[in-house]
Amino acid sequence: MAKRNKIGWYLLFTVPLLIIFTIVVIIPFVIGIYYAFFQWDGISANPMEFNGLDNFFRLMDDERFLRSTWLTVLFTVLSVITVNAVGLAFALLVTSKLKLANLARTMLFMPYLIGGLILGYIWQFVFLDVFTLIGGITGLDSLFFNWLNDEDFALFALVLVFTWQMAGYVMIVYIAGLQGIPGEVVEAAKMDGASGWQRFSRITVPLLMPAFTISLFLTLSYGFKIYDVNLSLTGGGPANATELFAMNIYNEIFGYNNYGYGQAKAIVFFVIVAAITLTQVYLTKKREVEM
Amino acid sequence: MTFNKKFLTGITFTAALTVLAACGGGGDGGEQTENAGEETTGISIFQSKVEISEQLEAAAAAYEEETGVPVEVIGTTGDDYAQQLQIRLNNQTGPSIFSIQNFEEATRLESYLYDLSGEDFVGDIAPDMELMLEDKLVGIPYGVEGFGIVYNKDLVDPADIADYDSLVSTIEDFNAEGINGFGLSSEAYFLIGHISNYPFSIQEDPQAFMDQVTNGEVTLAETPEFQKFGEFMEVVRENTPNPLDKTYDTQVGDFAAGKTAMIHQGNWAAGMLDEFEVDFEVGMAPFPLEGNDKLAVGVGSNWAVNGDKDQAEIDAAIEFLNWLHTSETGQKFIVEDFGFIPAMTNIEAGDLDPLSQAVLEASNSGETIPWSHNYYPANVVPNDFTPAAESFFVNEDMTGDELIENLQAAWENAAQ
Amino acid sequence: MGILRKWSKEILLLAMAIVFLSPIYIIFVNSFKNRRELYENTLAPPTEFTLEFYEGAMARMDFFNAFLNSMYVTVVSVIFIVILSSMTAWMLARNANWISTVIFMTLIATMLIPFQTIMMPLMQLVTGITRSTGIPLYNSLSGLIFMNVGFNAALSVFLYHGFVKSIPISLEEAATIDGASKLGVFWRVVFPILTPITATVMILNVILIWNDFLLPSLTLIDKELRTIPLSVFYFFGEFTIEWNMAMAGLTLTIIPVVIFYMISQKYIIKGIGEGAVK
Repeated sequence: MAKRNKIGWYLLFTVPLLIIFTIVVIIPFVIGIYYAFFQWDGISANPMEFNGLDNFFRLMDDERFLRSTWLTVLFTVLSVITVNAVGLAFALLVTSKLKLANLARTMLFMPYLIGGLILGYIWQFVFLDVFTLIGGITGLDSLFFNWLNDEDFALFALVLVFTWQMAGYVMIVYIAGLQGIPGEVVEAAKMDGASGWQRFSRITVPLLMPAFTISLFLTLSYGFKIYDVNLSLTGGGPANATELFAMNIYNEIFGYNNYGYGQAKAIVFFVIVAAITLTQVYLTKKREVEM
Repeated sequence: MTFNKKFLTGITFTAALTVLAACGGGGDGGEQTENAGEETTGISIFQSKVEISEQLEAAAAAYEEETGVPVEVIGTTGDDYAQQLQIRLNNQTGPSIFSIQNFEEATRLESYLYDLSGEDFVGDIAPDMELMLEDKLVGIPYGVEGFGIVYNKDLVDPADIADYDSLVSTIEDFNAEGINGFGLSSEAYFLIGHISNYPFSIQEDPQAFMDQVTNGEVTLAETPEFQKFGEFMEVVRENTPNPLDKTYDTQVGDFAAGKTAMIHQGNWAAGMLDEFEVDFEVGMAPFPLEGNDKLAVGVGSNWAVNGDKDQAEIDAAIEFLNWLHTSETGQKFIVEDFGFIPAMTNIEAGDLDPLSQAVLEASNSGETIPWSHNYYPANVVPNDFTPAAESFFVNEDMTGDELIENLQAAWENAAQ
Repeated sequence: MGILRKWSKEILLLAMAIVFLSPIYIIFVNSFKNRRELYENTLAPPTEFTLEFYEGAMARMDFFNAFLNSMYVTVVSVIFIVILSSMTAWMLARNANWISTVIFMTLIATMLIPFQTIMMPLMQLVTGITRSTGIPLYNSLSGLIFMNVGFNAALSVFLYHGFVKSIPISLEEAATIDGASKLGVFWRVVFPILTPITATVMILNVILIWNDFLLPSLTLIDKELRTIPLSVFYFFGEFTIEWNMAMAGLTLTIIPVVIFYMISQKYIIKGIGEGAVK
């Protein structure tokens, strides 16, 4: 009886959300997998030809795809580091007893309030006008030039803008995490004579593990599937030097009209990325301290 | 804790309320759509030229007032039009009227395109301006557009750019004076799409030539017009600021400010020139590649009717297009509000800006070369030509010949 | 040493805040400039503060109607998201069996799917449902809300899940012994403690939903249903953007979110005080 009751509650709490979620996300995704086995241009009136695993084999010598995958990994790794470092630093600053903390908390979050598309356009102005201006004034024109037209720096430009957009976002998560750390634990450590660094590394960091799990995962997932900023800032250029993964799929599907092949790419990438990020979640979750 | 309790009660209360509201709202939405289907056959229009959205809505309202037929104009940004159209057509919620750009797009959407050949008003379309799929007429031109060298009459004497060599030396002279002699900009069509037309369009039979390229019978690199074109792109790279640093806005802005003497643009730029309040006269000259002395004139967009709809809706859609192109009110919208150079012989052009006037005159006299890019492999300009051109402008050591070879590779990639 | 360090921290924070705010500055000043002025100097303050473009943008966007639509969609979506995902997350976290793990992992794995790859099948499904059952998922605000809940569920469950664990289970056990049902335990004991993370979830979802363009643009047809991001489309042309109108529209769009953020972030902070008392 008690057990049936328990299952009943379990279902009551979870099923409503899961139904909606299944309709909106899972079923369309599965339909998408189905298309990956066809040669199809994405117009339902046009012929769909079953071609088995051909789309998946074709991937292996698609140089543009492999390059895009590598760029995406590079971009994501760099961004995860910078976003979380900056975001955590902000969270620590704005939760300390600084006069400007309240004001800063709002200001630092502002970039995230603007959608990625607009953000990219605005940063075009910054790279074009502000960077060249600074370069002209300071003479450091090997650092301050229009990054967007350099095949290497364009990717860093994306990292910079993404960091700038997301730092305030993970800051929020870290703030919520920091708030969860009981004051008395920190006080007790202080009394025991722990230094600032010790308190940070031995108490704050372990207790912040849930926030780390979340922030790392969020930045990983947003990094891997970045599209808006990519489109409006660099458009994938110059010469495809910043064509990241989501854009590569998008171009395959809607640019080259290879719907099936684009879906195959999406699935392969999904599997790889899911493996990486779920491992990350699993590892960091294990280190979370239960209270 | 007291705060939390209030918060909680508040949230439950609002939740309960909104569930009710949601159900109520949902019901309304559903009925609305169904009603629209049953009463009169309304039509919907979905099109890519955002600039005329409001004017088109006004035309739709005028039409509804005259005839009682409701017309819904669906909004989109210019960027994602094609993708949204594809999604809507696929789930059978497609619009009754939509816009298609060119032959390649029409081929792909063929099964959705209603054959308009039999309609009376299509007889008035200017020669060669209709969009044909074999013997079916599937697209009615929005209007005529043209591009060429847009120049500042205070700075440039048209005689100095009338042939290739003098154009090059004019650009070099401007560079020596610190003026940009030939402005391109970073957008796909303004960087390479339009300008790449010339070596194709000045061929005797551009379409046959493109077929030969696709079939591998001829390569771009061995064609003299392309060799010359590659050479010209080198001239541009050496003598002007990097076009990748320019947007359409700054390209036209530089021109308006007198920092650029010539830009490669079309008559559509007149609107932006107005916004910049230019205080000099502008002209449009042909691009003199291999002796070319004609402007490139073509159709940028076409109205198409969705043949997948039921006959009543198709008829209503055709009726609207008929009204737009034959009634006095409709024509007024095309000429005055949309600002098009009409591509119909029965429509009188309105007061035109100097660029559009140049295009109209060229068009009327027949002294034009066609828009070859309408027959390029689908999407080759944004997909493959643009990256090729970008790497040409980024890498100073890439030669014009290499650019042409890359364009050839791009073509093969897209045409396969 | 303390004072010096404190001041250097204050200055660092201020500098960062200003750097982070600079794009807002660019948006704001350019909402007053015509194209020529914008071209001449993007960064300078405008020569005059004219409301011309704000009025123009509001009229063309049919701002108040769009505002109400956005408000309705955002508020209702977020309420559903908060209620459903907090309940789900709590159950999943407190019943750590393999089913919960599978559900949780599936939820978060889907956060890695780029929307662009599922939008076409999604629209086919949604219009199919609407056509065959009459449930107005397509071209209605309720349908949009439904999809918002589905798309943002994973993120929200994920956020809640991590924080449920930091709640001492003893509180719940005490309430259960007092005879409260699961529902009672959750709403009276657990949910109030989750307030800081609820505020976080609300903030993040409000922003996502308020700014969303792609999903509404696919699902809403009728002009009367347009949300704010949809009605800004007029200013984004094929080749150029009407910057002043777009920036004015954007400023109008973000003001409500900024206000919301300023109000609700207090609860993230307030949560500490209360947590410490317990």
